[in-house]
Amino acid sequence: MFKSFATLLALFSALTLSSCTSGEPNPNASETLQQKDSLVLYSGRSEELVQPLIEMFEQETGITVEVRFAGSAELAAQILEEGENSPADVFFSQDAGALGAVSKAGLFSTIPSELSAQVDKQYSATDNSWVGVSGRARILVYNHATVSTLPLSVFDFAKPEWKNRIAIAPTNASFQSFVTAMRVVEGEAATSSWLDAMKTNAVIFEKNDAILNAIEQGVVDAGLINHYYWFAKAKELGKGKMKSKLAAFESNDLGNLVNVAGAGIVNDNSASRAFVEFLLSNKAQTFFAEETAEYPLIAGIEIVEGLTPLTDVRNPKVDLSDLDTLDETLELIRAAGLI
Amino acid sequence: MRKPPTLLKVLGIAAALAALIPVGYLFFRLGAGSEKAIEELLRPRTLELLFNTTLLVVSVTFTALVIGFLQAWLTARTNLGFGALFAVLATLPLAIPSYVMAFSFTATFPGVSGFLPSWLVLSLATSPYVFLAVSAALVRTDASSEEVARTLGLTKWQVLLRVTWPQVRPAATASSLLVALYTLSEFGAIAILRFDTFTRAIYNAYRLSFDRTAAAALAVVLVLLTLVVIWFERKYRGDYLSVSPASQKRVRISLGKAKPPAVTGLLLIAVVAVGIPLYSLINWSIIGSSTANLNQIMEALSGSVSLAVLAGVVITVFALAIALWIVRYPTKLGRFVELSVWANHALPAIVVALALIFLGANLLPWVYQTTALLIFAYVILFLPNALGTMATPIAQVPKSLEDVANSLGVKGNRSIFKVVLPIAAPGILAGAALVSLTVLKELPATLLLRPNGTETLAVRLWSSTEELAFAQAAPYALLLVVLGGLPALALNRQARKALSEVGK
Repeated sequence: MFKSFATLLALFSALTLSSCTSGEPNPNASETLQQKDSLVLYSGRSEELVQPLIEMFEQETGITVEVRFAGSAELAAQILEEGENSPADVFFSQDAGALGAVSKAGLFSTIPSELSAQVDKQYSATDNSWVGVSGRARILVYNHATVSTLPLSVFDFAKPEWKNRIAIAPTNASFQSFVTAMRVVEGEAATSSWLDAMKTNAVIFEKNDAILNAIEQGVVDAGLINHYYWFAKAKELGKGKMKSKLAAFESNDLGNLVNVAGAGIVNDNSASRAFVEFLLSNKAQTFFAEETAEYPLIAGIEIVEGLTPLTDVRNPKVDLSDLDTLDETLELIRAAGLI
Repeated sequence: MRKPPTLLKVLGIAAALAALIPVGYLFFRLGAGSEKAIEELLRPRTLELLFNTTLLVVSVTFTALVIGFLQAWLTARTNLGFGALFAVLATLPLAIPSYVMAFSFTATFPGVSGFLPSWLVLSLATSPYVFLAVSAALVRTDASSEEVARTLGLTKWQVLLRVTWPQVRPAATASSLLVALYTLSEFGAIAILRFDTFTRAIYNAYRLSFDRTAAAALAVVLVLLTLVVIWFERKYRGDYLSVSPASQKRVRISLGKAKPPAVTGLLLIAVVAVGIPLYSLINWSIIGSSTANLNQIMEALSGSVSLAVLAGVVITVFALAIALWIVRYPTKLGRFVELSVWANHALPAIVVALALIFLGANLLPWVYQTTALLIFAYVILFLPNALGTMATPIAQVPKSLEDVANSLGVKGNRSIFKVVLPIAAPGILAGAALVSLTVLKELPATLLLRPNGTETLAVRLWSSTEELAFAQAAPYALLLVVLGGLPALALNRQARKALSEVGK
């Protein structure tokens, strides 16, 4: 058996070496931008949401779009395996972490500055390898029948009075981005002790919506989620039927972190640029605001009723490009025994 | 001894090489960062994962074995009553993807998580594998030796353990192997119920930290665990017994006072394994307005059916070749082929999929993201399922019949087509049905390898739940269960067919 493994290994190494040397990208390709009238999109955002947008885009530009829908992390893993030979032109990701991983591997082309300039710098990659498209805020959801005084800071959940009352989703990417931000801002020691307290106090869920359901059913008192889950549930059940309410923490608290969904260009050509331009157009940004209750990231777009405007969200100042260090965060979350 | 036909060897070796691709890929990834890999494995967490994984695999395998064996024995050999109904109920969990079962449990009992629910869901989801294999074996084995044992004064429980069990042991252990490897590679249910195993850690390494070296290191441990499990199965399987085609008319064993608890037990299992998931699915469909689009449903349905049928046919061809080779022409090479096919069966589908993405995108762009590569992945993933199901019926065709055929002028290996395959055909079809059913439920590899735009029920179910629209997910889940019910029922009928012919 080892002989076969060895042969196979040798075969693999030889083949990858040859493919690596042949597939070097040309960094000056922008001078002679390839013109294309079709586009392959890898979308980590759902078909339900993205398909109507794609139809608008196709009608407007005449560019035909072939889409691959899957989870953002799976698509990032897929692009990493595909390397320079990826058939994807654009990667539209649900979260900054997946974009960061592809960016780290050097598989994105720089977003043209006239596009990246439309979005506030804090919501894109510092090296402009990807651009934010829509925003979501971390928020406290609570059962107003059982929670009378709201905590000022997310750190208050470490207190004994919250034992078995606060719900978190440690395997959820948004939670991990939030812990990453905590690590970057407050340091490892503070983050570790908060996570240890969560091990004692928190009720663990796999996903944000499970947290929200549990609070609606009265199983837990409060939870940390992204803001739009609440608005989606309210849309499904009717606002009057919601037992839970939303609340922000005090100014600059990490619990108010705003993270983004964004896009990066894998193969730079006219069609990929046109698509990113479209995602940042009034039409697409309004669409996100109306359909998902997310924050539009360009100026002058109306947001869903009941949502605090992005400019009034007292979010901590965090460089989202620093949130691609999920490895270290996972170490801490694992060490605390939460996953 | 005759030599195996070249065609069998070519197909078998091709399948073995294909099966080595994911393992080769893992070593390639490890080679790229061996220090980091060793560091990953030396952490205390690895021990914890090893403990959790072993605990789950051993407990699930044992439970599924007990449940499946008792279900088979009670419905096939005793005066239980409603045997056919209980047999259908014992088979049906096969049609319910374990992630759907797990989800329905958390929807019905919010907050359940950890070892116990994971053990329960996986035991119930996998016990049909044991039930079907043992039923088929019980029906085919000779009941007269049991009757002899009874007349010699053994109690019915002694007969069960000392006469019946040895006869079905190869079928029971072979199906337990499937159960054990299923448990090793399971991700969906484990993720929903939050119990940390190697497979969950591997998915997390890929999906959360994009750490391919750590994932590969953990996956290699999983392959080693698989080899240990296979070694145990080989050691305890016992020999396949070929049976005389004319089984005796049998007398059903009277359960006496044990009858009410037996009926209650079977009903309870059915309620938990089939009742709760169906109740939950129907509930979802009613709550909230279902906005699922009929065109999308039809598209997903045809996608699922065509992939399942195509994969079923292709996998059956390979499985037949290998089964015939190892059963009829046992050689060292044949055993190696069988081992390599089984060795990566516990690898999570995401590992197999990423190996093929790496290979496909970089070396075989013309098949990358085509149906061909997806079917190829299914062959790697599910060939062992088919092999496990088909080896027994082929082994049970008496060699003497082939000798007779040869003496009547059927030349050499042609007796395979003239005698062996026709007699084993029902068992082979059952294997094909099982594989198609498994393909129907598969998600991770389908998601990563399907051609752009190809939809299946499982993919739709996934995307609906991703988008939190459970009401919308319900029709896909229900359709998946109903569609999966067809091969499941066919499998059950097949397993019990001889019973209606001989018994009564």
